[in-house]
Amino acid sequence: MSPVPPAGELPIKAEHDIVTARRTVREASTQAGFAATDVTRIVTAASELARNIFKYAGEGVMRWRHVRTDNRSGIELQFEDCGPGIADVDLAMEDGYSTGGGLGQGLPGARRLVDEMEVQSKVGVGTTVTVRKWRRN
Amino acid sequence: MSTAISVIKVRDILLVTMPPDPDDSTIAALQERVLAAMERHGSAALILDIAEVDTLDSFFARTVAETAQMVTLMGGRTIIVGMQPAVAITATQMGLTLGEIETALNVDRALDVAAMPAPQKHRKVRR
Repeated sequence: MSPVPPAGELPIKAEHDIVTARRTVREASTQAGFAATDVTRIVTAASELARNIFKYAGEGVMRWRHVRTDNRSGIELQFEDCGPGIADVDLAMEDGYSTGGGLGQGLPGARRLVDEMEVQSKVGVGTTVTVRKWRRN
Repeated sequence: MSTAISVIKVRDILLVTMPPDPDDSTIAALQERVLAAMERHGSAALILDIAEVDTLDSFFARTVAETAQMVTLMGGRTIIVGMQPAVAITATQMGLTLGEIETALNVDRALDVAAMPAPQKHRKVRR
């Protein structure tokens, strides 16, 4: 696999793109300096969110970038689709709530693996989920 | 990189090895292949080796738990083998559970476990 740039985007429109998303995020978060367990956390969260795009919206895009502030560095992932949207984001963040026939562990599970998660969604317009993980120095 | 599931029969045990990063179709195929092979060989136990697996998300965990449940219904037992530490930490933090599946550190230990009688489970009996 060729080196993953520090920022980029990947279309998600086929089931196999979930695998590509995982590999890309694994590479990008390893390059950002995360230790093995944190890499697994970030990749697992990305897998849930990429699958949500494929499952609920059919297609969308994943963006990644290394982020840095004065005193910390990390990675930011964004998952955007123009799908049906989430009517009640708070409810969707609850464990066990699902409209897709799953166990409702995707969104709340992913949230527990990252440091920050923002969900913007409008019914009929689409959903954008942004997550950030900071390196523990 | 191979993405195929390996299914090997060893005496009355079915040894199934998952590839490192299987796609959803491969994971979904696990159930059908395993159950068909269990029936064909009359296997008493399924050893599912996930030592190579570096991402266990909710879909994968659910499929494994369901497969184990089906194996139980068929009269067999399931032993999960080789979960990487980072995967175990992540799955626990996410709140993923694999149900009442037996686990072992590696295939050697799993073969020892499979040779022992199955543990008594707490069953709910309705009268």
